[in-house]
Amino acid sequence: MGDLLREIEAQIAGAKTAAAKQNVGIIRELGDGVARIEGLTDAMLNEMIDLGNGVTGLVLNLEETEVGVVILGDYTKLKEGGEARTTGKLLQVPVGKGLLGRVVNVLGEPVDGKGPIKSDKTYPVEKTAPGIIRRRSVGQPVQTGIMPIDAMIPIGRGQRELIIGDRATGKTTICIDTMISQARLNKAAEAGGEKDFRPLYCIYVAIGQKQSTIARVISILEEAGAMPYTIVVASSASDSAANQYLAPFAGAAMGEWFMDNGMDALIVYDDLTKQAVAYRQVSLLLKRPSGREAFPGDVFYLHSRLLERAARVGEKYGNGSLTAMPIIETQAGDVSAYIPTNVISITDGQIFLETDLFYQGVRPAINVGISVSRVGSAAQVKAMKQVAGKLKGELAQFRELAAFAQFGSDLDAKTQAQIDRGKRIVEIFKQPQYNPIPVEIQVVVIWAVQNGYLDQVPVARVKEFQNKLTEYFTTRQVELLAKIRKEKAISDALKAELKTAVDAFKQTWTDEKATPEKAEAAKAQK
Amino acid sequence: MKINKRAQREAKQLFRLCLVNGLLDENHVRQVVRRVVAADHRDCRAILSQFGRLVKLELARHTATIESATLVPPDLRAAIEAGLTRRYGPGLTTTFIERPALIGGMRIQVGSDVFDGSVRAGLAALEKRF
Repeated sequence: MGDLLREIEAQIAGAKTAAAKQNVGIIRELGDGVARIEGLTDAMLNEMIDLGNGVTGLVLNLEETEVGVVILGDYTKLKEGGEARTTGKLLQVPVGKGLLGRVVNVLGEPVDGKGPIKSDKTYPVEKTAPGIIRRRSVGQPVQTGIMPIDAMIPIGRGQRELIIGDRATGKTTICIDTMISQARLNKAAEAGGEKDFRPLYCIYVAIGQKQSTIARVISILEEAGAMPYTIVVASSASDSAANQYLAPFAGAAMGEWFMDNGMDALIVYDDLTKQAVAYRQVSLLLKRPSGREAFPGDVFYLHSRLLERAARVGEKYGNGSLTAMPIIETQAGDVSAYIPTNVISITDGQIFLETDLFYQGVRPAINVGISVSRVGSAAQVKAMKQVAGKLKGELAQFRELAAFAQFGSDLDAKTQAQIDRGKRIVEIFKQPQYNPIPVEIQVVVIWAVQNGYLDQVPVARVKEFQNKLTEYFTTRQVELLAKIRKEKAISDALKAELKTAVDAFKQTWTDEKATPEKAEAAKAQK
Repeated sequence: MKINKRAQREAKQLFRLCLVNGLLDENHVRQVVRRVVAADHRDCRAILSQFGRLVKLELARHTATIESATLVPPDLRAAIEAGLTRRYGPGLTTTFIERPALIGGMRIQVGSDVFDGSVRAGLAALEKRF
């Protein structure tokens, strides 16, 4: 009881007795999540406004006699003529490791029913991106675990790689795979006690998606054990346009905390098309002038200021990084629309996903020809560079020759060989979802293809060969895999070991094929 | 009433004409209203409506409303007026209102600035802290 009294006395003593100056205004117009407030002469841009009844607003328009405010809570609790007051605070969200494993809304409030978030730090939602002096070039890879990406479109820590494609082409899956891959690597490094390993934490920002879709993503991450390294910022389709527009910025603030504290983070914006649409809605309600496709004039700045916050900072500034993977949904493959072209020009590369490839069974449906990574190759593991250096060119040649070969049957041996190799490369790049492949396995498989070990394998059985090879290496060549992982390059000695191991596997594969019973059994299994 | 941009612009121009040495001149305001009505302009109602809003806001900016739980004695009134003039400059109209709901203390509002030293505000702040 004594403690309680002391606490009450302390609270009373803490309460300000002097009349502090407040800046107030009157709500003049209200509706559709937007309010116009007369007065508030001291209001700042992006300042939080207390609208009463526990509802908060964010100042977006400063006009001569009034301010335009987007309402972040339930606007049905407010009335025209009500009083609003400035708070002197910019919109902030909690940050820190306490958010890992949690699902939060745009204000950083938990929505997963797991209790309050343990965080004593906050970051402003809108923050200036790191300047030129603080930055350094990208030099460390993000292992996505997706073979075509790691081999041909490598992503580096601090890069901004756009994932673009039509609906239902596997854009989100690529990002989830990447997050699962990071969780596996983080766990393995923790278990192995690797001191030099830099864990990569993930932030998934769901913008304007169905609640069921968000729930599905969370359950996939939970099943894969990736949630302890992931923060989910959820702003579903039922949230207000203001929340949807602010969600990526809130996620970026959470990611920046990791970067500022010398850690690495990856942020997925799923997707920025919906954010642009939400921003258009807010802008039109605030009566801002509209431009192309009715988007406001600053829609480019909306995305550029968001994506510029992804960076790799120098050692002097903590050596942290924030990698961004924005997603853009196109309509009927039209990448020349307004928002896609904007985001393509801002990012450091893009991964194009195609509906045709998806339905042909090429999954992930990446169009390697027009997908690029502008800075990631500097961060690629040397071993991967050694084995996959020529892959992109070979695939491009294959596509050209395959198109040409459709019109004639007489092909010279060299052309036929190129086509055959190309078909096998396409096959090995097919990968089931939520099953990222470790980089050392990728190196072994690609090395085997490049050295002609799959040339005699029928195209229909390439995947079987790959699976068996993977199984063989993970069970019987663990040390060799560890060597590749550790050395990160294929030396002559390693090459010889690799050759011996793959030769041994090829022998068993041939023997198995030669035994009729086994072949029969394999066929039945297939 | 929907006020188009042209009406807004014209109302603002008329409002500027009514300022003399930075302060609103009542005679000018009356004259402007008379002339706009006489001109019988198509946007007359919209212009006057916007003009009226600007005048209202300007008046609020130069009006100090002092609310207190009990009547303020004349010497304190004079001191408050002097203090407000020092802070906001000349041309300030002061209005004293008795509001027992404040319980004690005083609440002063000038434009959108509020200085709330009332007991009710103190209690509200305390309630928030708990």
